[in-house]
Formats: sequence, C-alpha cells, structure tokens
Amino acid sequence: MDNMLTIFKKEMYRVLTDRRLILTIFIMPGLAIFVMYSLIGTLVQNQATAVEEHTIILYEENMPDAIRLYLEQLSDESNEQRIHIEFRDQRDYDEETLKAYVREGDIDIVLLFEDDFHEKILNYTDEEPPTLTVFYNYGRQQSSFSYNNIMPVIEYYRNTYLIERLEDPAYYQVFSVQYVEGIVDERVLSGQMMAMMLPMLIVIFLFAGAMSIGPDSIAGEKERGTIATLLVTPIKRREIAFGKVLSLGMLSFISALSSFVGIALSLPRLMQMDDSGVSYAIYTMTDYVVIFSILIATVLVIVGLISVISAFAKTIKEAQMFIMPFYFITLIIGIVTSFGAEPSQSMWVHFMPIYGAVNLLSGVFTFQWLMINYVIVLVSSVVYTMMFIYALTLMFNDEKIMFQK
Amino acid sequence: MNALKVKNIRKTFRLSKKQRKIEQTSIKKKIAVDDVSFEAKPGEIFGLLGPNGAGKTTALRCIATLIKPDEGDIIVGDYSALKESTEVRKRIAFLTNELKLEDHFTPNYLFQYFSRLHGIDEATIKARRQRLFQRFGIDKFQEVKVADLSTGMKQKISIAIALVHDPDFIVFDEPTNGLDVMTAKTVTDYLVELRNEGKTIILSTHILHVVEKLCDRVGIIIEGKMKAYGILEDVIQTSSDGTLETLFFDLVKEEAGEVHG
Repeated sequence: MDNMLTIFKKEMYRVLTDRRLILTIFIMPGLAIFVMYSLIGTLVQNQATAVEEHTIILYEENMPDAIRLYLEQLSDESNEQRIHIEFRDQRDYDEETLKAYVREGDIDIVLLFEDDFHEKILNYTDEEPPTLTVFYNYGRQQSSFSYNNIMPVIEYYRNTYLIERLEDPAYYQVFSVQYVEGIVDERVLSGQMMAMMLPMLIVIFLFAGAMSIGPDSIAGEKERGTIATLLVTPIKRREIAFGKVLSLGMLSFISALSSFVGIALSLPRLMQMDDSGVSYAIYTMTDYVVIFSILIATVLVIVGLISVISAFAKTIKEAQMFIMPFYFITLIIGIVTSFGAEPSQSMWVHFMPIYGAVNLLSGVFTFQWLMINYVIVLVSSVVYTMMFIYALTLMFNDEKIMFQK
Repeated sequence: MNALKVKNIRKTFRLSKKQRKIEQTSIKKKIAVDDVSFEAKPGEIFGLLGPNGAGKTTALRCIATLIKPDEGDIIVGDYSALKESTEVRKRIAFLTNELKLEDHFTPNYLFQYFSRLHGIDEATIKARRQRLFQRFGIDKFQEVKVADLSTGMKQKISIAIALVHDPDFIVFDEPTNGLDVMTAKTVTDYLVELRNEGKTIILSTHILHVVEKLCDRVGIIIEGKMKAYGILEDVIQTSSDGTLETLFFDLVKEEAGEVHG
C-alpha cells in the first residue's frame, strides 16, 4: 500500500510540477474548448441575427394591393415580429436579368404576378387560373429567409379567396384535430438537449486526457530505460500497476474535468440554451453525484486499457499508434450514443465497457435511467479495471515485454 | 554474510526478424549465456570480462532478477534469485548504463523516492543521502533537475540511488563507460571503499586495466561461455606472456576460430 502510494505521488509530482504539462493537460483543453465552442455559438447566433435583421429586397410586378398591404403591415415598425422589406422599383427587366440579380444577391426574391392577377381571381369562372412566378436563391440564407417569410402571406391571400369561393368551407374540413397541452416533461426535453452533446464530448475528452498522459508514464519509462530502475527495487509489480493506473486515472480525471468545465461554460452559448430556457439547474445534486461517479469509473477503465497498451508498446510513439484505433472506437461510441436512439435500458448494454457508461450518462442527462444499470456500470468498470491491472502486473513481470528491443 | 553464487545458468533469446537481419543470421534462437557458473565472495570484487555481446549484461540481469535464466540458479546470500526475487532485490544493487534516471526529477527527489520504495525510514534516508551526496559531490546539485546535469554527474547520482538501501551485493555493468577520467576514478575509488566495507561486488567491464587494478577474482566470458575463471593472479598465470590482455585476446581468437573453423 505504501509503495503504491509512493508510485502514485511520484506520477502526480511528475505532471503537477511541470508547467508545460499543466498547461497542455489541464488548462489548454478546457480553455480551448471554451473559446472554440463559445466562438462557434456566437458566430452561429450572429449569423442567425444578421439574417433575421436583413432587409428583404423584393422585386414585384403587378402585385395585388391586398398582398402589398399585408407585406407593408409586416414591415411596419409597430409590428412585434417585424421583418424589413424594401420594394425595388419596377423596371422592365427580362427574366434572365432578374435571375442574375437573385443569383448575385442584389435581389432576394422576385414575385411576378400575371397582368390583372387580382381581377382574374375575383372574376374566376373556369378558365386557367392566373400565375405567380417566384424567383429565389435557396443557396443564399437571406433569399431563403425572404421566401420563408413572404410565401405565408401569399398563402394567406390564396386561402382567403379560396374560402370565399366555397359555399360551405366547413364541408371541406372533414374533421378537426385538438392538441392537448401539458403532457411534455420540460425537464426531459431540456435534458435531451444536454444529452445530444455532453455524453459524447465527455467520453471523448476523458479518453483524450488519458491518451495524453498514459503513454509517457509506462511506454515512456520503457523507452527511456527508467522502468528497469524501478523493477530492480523490491516493490511488487502489482503495486507498480496500481500506482500507475490510479495516478493516471486521477490526472486524466482532472484533465477531463478541465474539458468538462470548458464544455459546461460554453454549452449555453453553443446551443443557445439561454433562448430555450435550458439550464444546468434542471439536475439535482444526486444527478451530479451519479454523473461524476460514472466519469470516475469510466476514466479508470480507459486508463487501464491505455496502460496495458502502453506497457506492450516499446516507445511512446508506438503506444500512441496502438491506442489510436481505440480512440476511434470511443469516438464512434460517443456519436452513436448522442445521435442514436434513446438510451437503452438493457442490463447487457451496461456491462459493455465504455459504451455502457456513455449510454447510462445519456440516460442520466435525460432522466431515463435505472439504479440497477448504474450499479452494473460501476461494478463492471471496477472489474474491468482490476483485469487491466492484473494484465499490467503480468506484463511488468514479463521480461520479453519489458526489455525486448 | 554469504557469497553470491551463479550456478550453471543458461539463457536463450528468440531473435526477431529485425534482429536476425541485423545480426545476418537465420538462427531463430540465440544462446546469450551458456552454462555459466561463478562465485563472488564478501569483501571481493569479481570482474566479469568479455567483448561486446559476450553475454555479460545478460548474466548480470539474471543476477539482478530483471530476467530469469532458462536453467540454473543464482544464490544471493541465502536467497534464490529465481524463487525469492523480492528478497534478492532487497539485498542487491544493480547499475548499468541502460538504467536511466527520469530527467524531470531532482537527485534529492529520486533518492527519496527510491529509498521509500525500499521501505527505508526518513532518518536513515537523510543520513544516507548526506553521506552519499557528499561522497560524490552531488550535494550542490541535489535540487537541480537531472536533465540539466552532466553525464558524469548523472552516473554518480545513479550510483548513489542504486545504493540507497546499503546493499550487501553490488552488481555494476560497465559503470565507468563513457565517463571522463576524473569521474571514472571517483567511481573506481568508491568500489574499493565498498569492498573494504565487506560488500560483494560484481563488476562487468571490457577495460582490462580496471580489472587488473581492482578485481580479486575474474571470469572471462566469450560467446556466452565462461572461458576462464578464478583468482586474478591464477588466471593471468595461464596466459602465454603473463598478462591478462594476451590471455583475453587469445581466448577471443580461439573462440572465433572455433566458430569459423
């Protein structure tokens, strides 16, 4: 126990007294994530705001007064949901010229109503209905925004006259649908927003944190020849394995915590949570305890895996190369959990290393988890970690693995 | 205190494809040490001589319990290196060029760290550190990171750290390799001091005059086999001109003749 603690302290000291490591392992991940995600969130929001505040450049010919009136009301200052519309003066443009203007963004939308459009609607008998020709560029956000906001006005105009033509509009309704409010659990809804990103990001950063420290601690010692200095001491190989895995677990957890803080601080901006009313306050202290205990269990499994791979590798570079496929698997697990179906409640799923924990995390974030699955994840993670430590002990005892050039 | 006895050890290594290519051989197994036996007594320096690749380091690694011989046994004091490796490690110091120190740490931290791994109490650690650091002139550099120290100083620190537990058996694999004359002399002088304290010392080297000057007993190992062994003077007597150098080169040539003949 004392020896394990000595190894643990030494590994902690190695990292915690190296300013460069502190910066790259503990400060940079959180800071980089915070800056990057906040920037993305701000840019996305700015882009959306810029589009919403954009003045729609509308070119029309023969627009019925009723439609124009609607549109003018829509762009009136007194309107709370005001959109800015600028009517472009009519000129005798041909179609190709108008298309070029829309393509280049000089005009956002073109509405070409047939001559006497309104009169033809009012005096309709059984001839061909009048035509409205619309040009817009769905490759440009402003143009799409214009289309999405102006077409409902046109639809409203059409429906108004359609109803007028019908003797009994109710006859065409067939049936009505009544939607009952108040069923949705707002907490679950908010949680789903969290679950979309957090489990994936957490597991990826847990792995990345462990990956940045693990190879140096074991493969690095082999590469530098310092492992032999350790192995000639009377310390038991099991104590070395425990000391290494636990210290790496602690360091990786701190590193992941840094990333977690970065995510937590930047997520409201990234996901526009302020606008949607979602906040971290939806979770109780118990939820947070469950989340952090899952993280600790997961980090131990990840560190155990990385330690075994590092012990097998001859150099740090080789260890990083061997670890990479497992990192990709973890990425896939994160993506599948975040963008897949609802979290599984199957007990067997929770026995699976890493995947079970990420699935459970997703469940905790959406308030859909079972205590039995939580216990399974914790117990199975401890069992997997012990298996990795046992394998590591055997590897420290194996001269071929430790000293083969 | 009992002697250190190496009894008929044999160690083979499987050669990887890469190693076979480097050594230009098609043989898949290499016999690194072949039925080697010797004994080193307390208060003696035993010199293990041999050219590069003769099997010296492998034999010493077996003694240090880093690797296990395929056959034979090594008795360190009262303990078998095969069956009681932890007990052997408590009583033995092993130093080789391949045993490195971590650059990030200071000599002081490393001394403390390895002392604790040996289960030594704080008062003893302090006393031993003071004595060894003063003896090797490390005290001025005890808070300087290993990365910033010279090769000679690193080797002195390695020796001090190897001796944290005041072991009765000391195994040094080419301890003066790559050192300047002054540092090499400090190391050899210290070996003599250790012998005078009654320690059992095994020294591997290919520097003949070091053996002639320091060793009481000698073994010459070539191609994994012990070709000559005994008290230094007796071994030298077997040479055609009464020098260790001639004997050494004759044995190397004889082995080369056997291999190629």
